[in-house]
Amino acid sequence: MRILLALALLVIPLSALAQQGPVQTLLQTHAEDIADPSRQTIQPVLDDLSASGLPAMTEFLEAWADKGVVRRDADGLFFYGQREGDVYVLRSVEDGAEAGEVGRREATELKPNAGVRRLIGTALVQFQLNDPDPARRRAALDALSRNATPDLLGPLRASIETEENGAIRDRKEELERLITLRFGENQAARLAAIDWLSDKVSLEGRAALNNVLTTRTVVGPPEAGANIARVLVPGTDISEPAAVALLAEAGFEVAQVSRADRDAALIAAIEGESVAGVAVASLNTEDARWAAYETLAQAGAVPPRAAPDAVARLLAETPITAVYDEPDPAITTAAAAALDEVGARVARAQAADLTLDALSLASIYFLAAIGLAITFGVMGVINMAHGEFIMIGAYTGYVVQTIVPDYTVSLIIALPLAFVVAAAAGVVLERLVIRHLLHRPLETLLATFGISVALQQIFKNIFGTQAVPLTSPAWLAGAWSLNDVIGISYIRIAIFVLALGFLALLVWILRRTRLGLEVRAVTQNPGMAASLGIDPDRVGMATFALGSGIAGVAGVAIGLFAQVTSEMGSGYIVQSFMTVVVGGVGSVFGTLVGAGMIGGLQKGIEWLNPSNTLAAQTYMILFIILFIQFRPRGIVAQKGRFVQ
Amino acid sequence: MTDATASAGRPTRITRGSPADHPSIRRPLIRRPDVLIFLAILALVTIGATVLAQTGHVSTSTVKLLGKTLCLCLAALAMDLVWGYTGILSLGHFAFFGIGGYAIGMWLMWDRTELIVLDTLARNPLPATPLEVQEAIGSQIFGVVGSTEIPWLWAFAGSLPLQLAAAVLVPGIVALIFGWLAFRSRVAGVYLSILTQAGTLALSLWLFQNDSGLRGNNGLSGLQNLPGLDHVPQSTISLWFLWASALALAGAYLLAAWTVAGRFGSVLRGIRDDEARVRFLGYEVEHYKLAIFTGTAMACGIAGALYYPQAGIVNPAEIAPIASIYLAVWVAIGGRGLLYGAVIGAAFVSLLSSWFTGGGAPDIDLGFYEIRWTDWWLVLLGLTFVLVTLFAPKGLGGLVDLWTERRSRRTSDLGPDEGALRAEEERP
Amino acid sequence: MNRTSLTAIALTLGAAPAFADGHVSCPVKVGVLHSLSGTMAISETTLKDTVEMLVDIQNEKGGLLGCEIEAVVVDPASDWPLFAEKARELIADEGVDVIFGSWTSVSRKSTLPVLEELNGLMFYPVQYEGEESSKNVFYTGAAPNQQAIPAVDYFLEELGVERFALLGTDYVYPRTTNQILEAYLKSKGIAEEDIFVNYTPFSHSDWATIVGDVVEMSEDGRQVGVISTINGDANVGFYKELAAAQVSADDIPVVAFSVGEEELSGLDTSDLVGHLAAWNYFQSAETEANEEFVAMWKDRMGEDRVTNDPMEAHYIGFNMWVNAVTEAGTTDVDAVREAMYGQEFPNLTGGTAVMLPNHHLTKPVLIGEITEDGQFDIVSQTEEVAGDAWTDHLPESAKLTSDWPGLGCGMYNTETETCVQIQSNY
Repeated sequence: MRILLALALLVIPLSALAQQGPVQTLLQTHAEDIADPSRQTIQPVLDDLSASGLPAMTEFLEAWADKGVVRRDADGLFFYGQREGDVYVLRSVEDGAEAGEVGRREATELKPNAGVRRLIGTALVQFQLNDPDPARRRAALDALSRNATPDLLGPLRASIETEENGAIRDRKEELERLITLRFGENQAARLAAIDWLSDKVSLEGRAALNNVLTTRTVVGPPEAGANIARVLVPGTDISEPAAVALLAEAGFEVAQVSRADRDAALIAAIEGESVAGVAVASLNTEDARWAAYETLAQAGAVPPRAAPDAVARLLAETPITAVYDEPDPAITTAAAAALDEVGARVARAQAADLTLDALSLASIYFLAAIGLAITFGVMGVINMAHGEFIMIGAYTGYVVQTIVPDYTVSLIIALPLAFVVAAAAGVVLERLVIRHLLHRPLETLLATFGISVALQQIFKNIFGTQAVPLTSPAWLAGAWSLNDVIGISYIRIAIFVLALGFLALLVWILRRTRLGLEVRAVTQNPGMAASLGIDPDRVGMATFALGSGIAGVAGVAIGLFAQVTSEMGSGYIVQSFMTVVVGGVGSVFGTLVGAGMIGGLQKGIEWLNPSNTLAAQTYMILFIILFIQFRPRGIVAQKGRFVQ
Repeated sequence: MTDATASAGRPTRITRGSPADHPSIRRPLIRRPDVLIFLAILALVTIGATVLAQTGHVSTSTVKLLGKTLCLCLAALAMDLVWGYTGILSLGHFAFFGIGGYAIGMWLMWDRTELIVLDTLARNPLPATPLEVQEAIGSQIFGVVGSTEIPWLWAFAGSLPLQLAAAVLVPGIVALIFGWLAFRSRVAGVYLSILTQAGTLALSLWLFQNDSGLRGNNGLSGLQNLPGLDHVPQSTISLWFLWASALALAGAYLLAAWTVAGRFGSVLRGIRDDEARVRFLGYEVEHYKLAIFTGTAMACGIAGALYYPQAGIVNPAEIAPIASIYLAVWVAIGGRGLLYGAVIGAAFVSLLSSWFTGGGAPDIDLGFYEIRWTDWWLVLLGLTFVLVTLFAPKGLGGLVDLWTERRSRRTSDLGPDEGALRAEEERP
Repeated sequence: MNRTSLTAIALTLGAAPAFADGHVSCPVKVGVLHSLSGTMAISETTLKDTVEMLVDIQNEKGGLLGCEIEAVVVDPASDWPLFAEKARELIADEGVDVIFGSWTSVSRKSTLPVLEELNGLMFYPVQYEGEESSKNVFYTGAAPNQQAIPAVDYFLEELGVERFALLGTDYVYPRTTNQILEAYLKSKGIAEEDIFVNYTPFSHSDWATIVGDVVEMSEDGRQVGVISTINGDANVGFYKELAAAQVSADDIPVVAFSVGEEELSGLDTSDLVGHLAAWNYFQSAETEANEEFVAMWKDRMGEDRVTNDPMEAHYIGFNMWVNAVTEAGTTDVDAVREAMYGQEFPNLTGGTAVMLPNHHLTKPVLIGEITEDGQFDIVSQTEEVAGDAWTDHLPESAKLTSDWPGLGCGMYNTETETCVQIQSNY
């Protein structure tokens, strides 16, 4: 058996070699690198492959990058391979002709990593720039924008002339400028590119400018004619330890005695019970140890400590400069000026972007809190299970999506259904629990908390603890972007619109309908309202249904951009309370202002401290606690039954 | 509702009469039956557990569970004073409990580490310097969070008296500041509940960060090992803590009973029933509220300082708002406005809870579905709680009242003022 | 038999020490200390099922030392102090011979004092931040140098990343791992201003600003990469926001340390294709042992269940323990521990895991790209890496080493040549 196998191994390569075409032959010369490529080593191979001029090579490179190539273990030959069940269907790399099958254990799929794929993409650029297929031309430009090399500037320029597609042509011209700026030889052309970039905010534009402005750090006096960016002053431009480390790297070292060195020296010098004339036992403070070391140093036994100002002197004597890698000062000056100009524009754009994020967050808080606000206003009770209505809505969306596979249709069904389901749950809660606890707000709070715990656990038992997927339809995927800085995802825009819709609806209901009139009456003076023939029970139930229903819709909306879990409601409940309390109870506009304030505040703190979102939430809560001190009734204070 | 019908026929007592007129209040504390019975049961449990543990019939984990439960009872007692008697539904008292645990935990960790460090450094040829000791302690305690520096919070961690004081004073001061701000601007009712909850959330979020200097979400661990007492087995240490917890609970119960029985207690109940009326009578309502809020916070701090060395670990998850809500739930189930109610509630619910989640309760096979209590216990607890709130506002303690009432035809006057509940019902 | 029943009586009384001598009392008891309720239940229940499966397989093979193995399952309910309580019950009251359990560092830290006090033995199967080596715990999950550091190397060498965003959930594992990574990156010449660190709360859902900040990082023209230690369901919102912002893996690759097959099941992965995860195991590993393991799991638990890295850790840990017990001829903790050192067992991904003197394993590091079907395409697999209890990249830890059989110490200072502590300081 073994002999047969060995024979087979011997025979196959021979027969395979006999029929190898030029592509396979070339590939075999780099077989190991191709089979197990690394970004560090693959470039020469790619150069070799693309320099071969073989027309079939383009297809091979594309297939390789696409993980569509397998290597037969028996003979090490490469094929295009398609996995079908337990076999790979092979096609020849020469002409794509059928080349039989191989068991999945007898061949290895080539899986070049993303770094290698990027290099393959760049290698393909020159072949794809003039490809008749626009998609390939775009792919080539994408590869070029990710990883440009100077030698591609020529082919790119040449391809602009013949480009017929307007958009692609514009893109080619853009890239031509960016690459010219980076690798061009002609000073005028580069300055023109800088000038052209100075009124853009695009990321790649800034990247190109920054690429021109890269610096290296030079310790000691820089060489003559160096294009100096700036002198780094220790303490301001660069921290002192970092500066010392730089100096040390360059060979300027202060002979500092570390505490470990000192202790080692002292231990080495122990004679009996004493060191340098003092008892070992007395060396139990840092000062005593240094004093003993000094004694040793004076005796010449150990190197002396450096003077206290030695470091400062050395730093003062040795300048540290940042020198531009770009030798031409005209270019760097222009680029720096252009970057400054762009920077100011980017800062404004970032502020606008942050405002959009804050608006988005505010609209989410508004949706989550408004139901709570109106029930609190009308019935004077806090519903701790409000967050669970959000969750019920989200799970309704999930269930609909498992039944109706089309995301658009399921969303259209899910939104009203979530409203109905959550509203029904709200009515049940109101009828069974809250009705019986009227005028006992603290107990309502706790009883609804019990409901909240039970609901969370019930959903956990039904749907599991793992987040369930709620996927937005394709037309809501992606983001609207004004430029590379200002952008917001379509889902968030949709939520914003939804929040506006509910705001309008609520205002209309409260101002223009009989129910609204009754709700306002009950909110302001329930006793008087009742004596005027308004049934507070009915009003309470209606508002509860409305408030819970909106929470359900909010759940679907939140689930579209974040996770759906049984605990998602509790993540929003505290924020919702804050929104209601800050805004003022029972007022739609109060809630709106509250949501805006909390959303804005949170984003503001995040902006001040971008590395710690958790801290942002902590500070926000503290701020709100303080805020309540000054406006205990909220921003839009309402006169009503809960004014004490 | 049920409550209103039950109490409709009776006159309201305490709110109308002067407290000094009341017969039971004039009686010496120690002769009051509820206090006596409570102390007797507590002593029985503690001594019984000790004897059984010494003879090997009760495992160390059971003793620890008992000791921890007593601490929770103490916290519930404090919660009852502040909520059941004064009507302030604080959803933050468990945070004070946690702070107490952190304060004592810092000393336990520090001192234990210092002993280890001194032991290691003693093997060096040179005697240790204070700086070396500091550095070694820092790297041992904070190595787990990738740091070696000792945060300023730990300045007094080496001193037991100061950390013990901190376990009481830090909750007190936090409560004092928070309460002063809140009561001064007349934040009350559900607003106050929400604010306390938010404050608790902020505290637990802050503790969660490594930067806060209390070892992030890992918290302080290994607290069951007392420094310098490595030779004492946990079975003995657990008994010490059981006794300490029992003594603290007994003391607190006496103090609480004394507090609510006197004039101070009457004012508290008055505030709960009708704050405005008490204010018009000339009482400085804010001072009373502040005093009880701060005092109970300190009691929670003590309870926490006793609890966490038994639990072994204190971390931010302990302080999460939900814990404080559970505290309220225990009191409500036990019976608020009843001192023994709070104790019963805490003991009953927490022991039941560990029985259910520990797989002690047999699963129920319904044929089409098997109810596993590890999954369904929380549902049961949540719904029970709703039912108790709806139908038995006096909780389990109310049952005791019913029973004693029938037996001796004497009502306990330490229960919730029926007048209060009715007054609330009657309010428009 | 008589002996056994006597022991049983003693155990029920709770007074007898669990393992007084080197003999074996049947059945051999294996404690399972994984949360079955609460927030960690979803992850840990899987591990409980894994241990039960492994026990059943072993019993089919004839048990251990002639005894049946019995799994004793308790539920610490995702409540950290409860881990200590339940561990005490397992060891002192149930008399288990070994514990497989715990998921987070905090639960392990809670259990440690009890394990050391009662001389128990636990296998911890999850990746963690290191900086610990207890005599009574075997760490079969990855230390930072077996997951985080190789992943960063992959970023540096293969993807050419020059600016790093370290995004994490705010708890100890991400914080400490990121601290180690920051030190490592700086040693590789990455400047401080090229490292952006952000921490978010558990279950965070508002990712727009953070994703925007990361995208903005590529403004200086260098490759940006994200190292994510974001935990649990917060990943859903994060990846959704990435997809919405049209950040492809080619522009800004994300490598995650806490996202496995389980987590991806809550997501539509079509927009995430190409993003990365680093583990020591992926379900898609194509070895026969793994295919057998996956088949066995699906057979037992259902076709749609997936396997993951901590499951493999328990698989290795359990089998090593069985072999060590067989070798020692007893379940006595000290004897088994001695027999554990140098134990070898084949990994499911190929190669061999070896138990090192510092109680960690040698493991290969795998980098996988997310595919459309929620699995990972393995694009890189290293040789086995030896787990390092004390990281080499933080100055205070670099001088520490752990060597239980050799030095008898888990925290040995190589500079002063002293044992800093034998018992953990937790």
